[in-house]
Amino acid sequence: MGKYIIRRVLQMIPVLLGTTFLIYLLVFLLPGDPTDGRCGQRPCSPEYVASFRAEYNLDKPFIVQYLLYLGKLLHGDLGTNFYGNTVVSELAVRYPVTLKLAVMAIIIEAVVGIAAGVAAGMRKGKFVDNLITITTLVLISIPVFVIGSLAQLVLGVKWHIFPVTSTNGTFDQLILPAIVLAALNVAYAARLTRTSLVENLRADYVRTAKAKGLSALRTVGIHTLRNSLIPVITYIGASFGSLLGGAIVTERIFNVNGVGSFLFRSINTQDGVSVVGTVVVLVFVYLVVNLLVDILYGVLDPRMSRD
Amino acid sequence: MRAITPALIGVASLALLASGCASDGGTNNNGGETGGATEISIRGCTPENKLIASNTNEVCGGNVLQAVTSKLVYYNPDNSAPELDIAESIESPDAQNFTVKLKQGYKFHDGTEVKAKNFVDAWNWAAYGTNTQLASSFFEPIEGYDKLQCGVDKESGEADCTKNKPEAETMSGLKVVDDYTFTIKTTTPTSNLEVRLGYTAFAPQPDSFFADTSQGKTEFGTLPVGAGPYKIVSNTATEMVLEKFADYSGAHAGSVDKVTFRIYNDMNTAYNDVVANNLDLTDQVPADQLVNDQWKNDLVNEDGTPRYGTKETGVIQVMTFSPIDDQLKSIDMRDALSMALDREQITKQIFNGARTPATGWVSPVVDGYKAGACTACVFDPTKAKELYEKAGGYKGTLTIAVNGDGGHKEWAEAVCNQWKNNLGVTCAVEATPNFQTLRKGINNRELKGLYRGGWQMDYPSIENFLTPIYSTGASSNDGDFSDKKFDQLLKDAAAETDLNKANELYQEAERILGEKMPSIPQWYQSSQYGYSSKIAEVKMTPFSTFDLSSIKLK
Repeated sequence: MGKYIIRRVLQMIPVLLGTTFLIYLLVFLLPGDPTDGRCGQRPCSPEYVASFRAEYNLDKPFIVQYLLYLGKLLHGDLGTNFYGNTVVSELAVRYPVTLKLAVMAIIIEAVVGIAAGVAAGMRKGKFVDNLITITTLVLISIPVFVIGSLAQLVLGVKWHIFPVTSTNGTFDQLILPAIVLAALNVAYAARLTRTSLVENLRADYVRTAKAKGLSALRTVGIHTLRNSLIPVITYIGASFGSLLGGAIVTERIFNVNGVGSFLFRSINTQDGVSVVGTVVVLVFVYLVVNLLVDILYGVLDPRMSRD
Repeated sequence: MRAITPALIGVASLALLASGCASDGGTNNNGGETGGATEISIRGCTPENKLIASNTNEVCGGNVLQAVTSKLVYYNPDNSAPELDIAESIESPDAQNFTVKLKQGYKFHDGTEVKAKNFVDAWNWAAYGTNTQLASSFFEPIEGYDKLQCGVDKESGEADCTKNKPEAETMSGLKVVDDYTFTIKTTTPTSNLEVRLGYTAFAPQPDSFFADTSQGKTEFGTLPVGAGPYKIVSNTATEMVLEKFADYSGAHAGSVDKVTFRIYNDMNTAYNDVVANNLDLTDQVPADQLVNDQWKNDLVNEDGTPRYGTKETGVIQVMTFSPIDDQLKSIDMRDALSMALDREQITKQIFNGARTPATGWVSPVVDGYKAGACTACVFDPTKAKELYEKAGGYKGTLTIAVNGDGGHKEWAEAVCNQWKNNLGVTCAVEATPNFQTLRKGINNRELKGLYRGGWQMDYPSIENFLTPIYSTGASSNDGDFSDKKFDQLLKDAAAETDLNKANELYQEAERILGEKMPSIPQWYQSSQYGYSSKIAEVKMTPFSTFDLSSIKLK
């Protein structure tokens, strides 16, 4: 196990190098100089442009810019953005909110998704199964901004059941965005659980367990479910990784001040330093979460030894 | 790329987000009153820079600084006329030497008194090249400004502050006489200097500002200290909180004890919050809510009274003729294009009344405005066609360049269609990916045809719509317009001590624009705003900001 983890961590290095390079390339080779529109309809004063370009190394060749950035990155310095704040401090304010939202969404996703999947799998072809299949199909086919805007308008603005926005990121304010965020993933998790459960229910060991006289609850709950959950865990793990990247659309609709809306604003204002810094952190978080998920496999199924 | 695709979906969501149906106005309160203290929340957005008066040229930081600072002059929110605020008097015998006397007793939020040196030092600091303040050009009229700029490097031909430090640290045109008096001398006569002094960049700075040694004054800029009716008590990623300043001695004290600027990334969300009465004020109404007056149905109190308003603001949109397009040099051609434009139709159908057809180059909200300077702004397709043919027509495709990220494509397409129908010209819209690329194309004079230009006034004077945009070599003269008589009139007007006479000269200058057509005036802009049921009265200024002293709660 130890060797496996070390190998995986070492693999992260080329991935991180490659992604930072690509992101840096994409962001800083975009058309338009960041100083072009910063002074409204007037061109900025030459002093301002010169000091701005010097501060962000824009006056140097691209590869030198990138290496300078990489050097700072190795010291944990994500740079200071165009508005004078360090990217680390900007992210430190926003990550707790995004984390809270992601955890809430993932709990909803796991609980509702697995429960619905089990209910459907146990009664394959019956009414419950059909109901869940159709509901998940509807959820999958509606884009998230439609669900989000509709939920906000109906449940927030019209009926006053939930707060309209989540500016302060408190628990009650985040419930509605978490539900919206979980909606799509719930559907996938339920379908995965159902398929996997149906398959496993036909396995020999299940027949043996039944023949031994074990109750249906024990057969499904302990033996089958444990095996059936492996693909579901992979899926939930991966979706947790992307949720930590901040849900740009949902965060915008509900005014959640998380990583997603920060990234959106940074892209819009051409704040390249913030974009690169944020995405580098996102890549890193994603890699770590995936590693954790892979380690979890071993716990669920001891046969999957990694050494 | 992962990051970019959802952002695009986010933009698409704007349209759907706001297409909901009518609402009854809502009932829940967000606990506005606690223990007798009154408070309101206003839509805010993330400032682009630290909150330093001379380094803030955008609305997100400007909104807050407007309430935190007091200036020599205050703009009346109704007619934008300048009224003396910290200044007791501003006098000049020749429109070039000004004596400013301050009222005594004005205090900064840290308790120190506002004195003459607070103005002079602040202005010198802001104009000093090495400090690279975004609004430093506002100090240009003052004598000695050029000595504070960095020298030009011989090799690169660009200003270089590391090799060539500015020659002087203070402007020779500013002199402190005593604690409450200072003098300003301008390089050339500037009769409307008084009108300019209400701009935020001219705010005084306290001693603590100069004591801050952090790079770019970032510490001061987080919680700035001003002499305004409100002091800022907290500034986070989600909100900026202002409290009424107890020792404020001016005439424009705030009426509410606590004002919170809540940060929204999306104006649709803020609008929804106002509809649901969760937010008290929004200075923006999404464009799709204006369709069929949807917003007027949404924003109604339970007793049926409206909780919305419209204010004409000092913004004008024009299309500038590219100086490198030889086919557009003839006046007949320019008049034809302008006359073939049915402004009325576009403002109604595309902007749903949020724009008013322009009749000249100056916004109606300013001192000195006179309607009708643009004689070719009257829709007349027959005459337009005649002039167009007289000018020989336009060979090839006429392009209108707009930035693709600002919702300008719709009207530009409409303009093109009208030209196609009325003149028979082949016309196309050229949308750049963003504002930056459009500005780059314009600044480098790479674009042909016409390009979009929007001008928001810095100070409410007719002069602000003429000199910076159309005088020879001006900083925002995108069309390289140059006319000797026009320049001379501006000069004469600037030297005229009688404001009414000066305005007459400016109006005469504007009529020259009517003859030469350096650009096609399109429309004046107005701002739509909404407020919660808690608020009885609120005024918006011609700068699209809320006047906090005029707010009345129920």
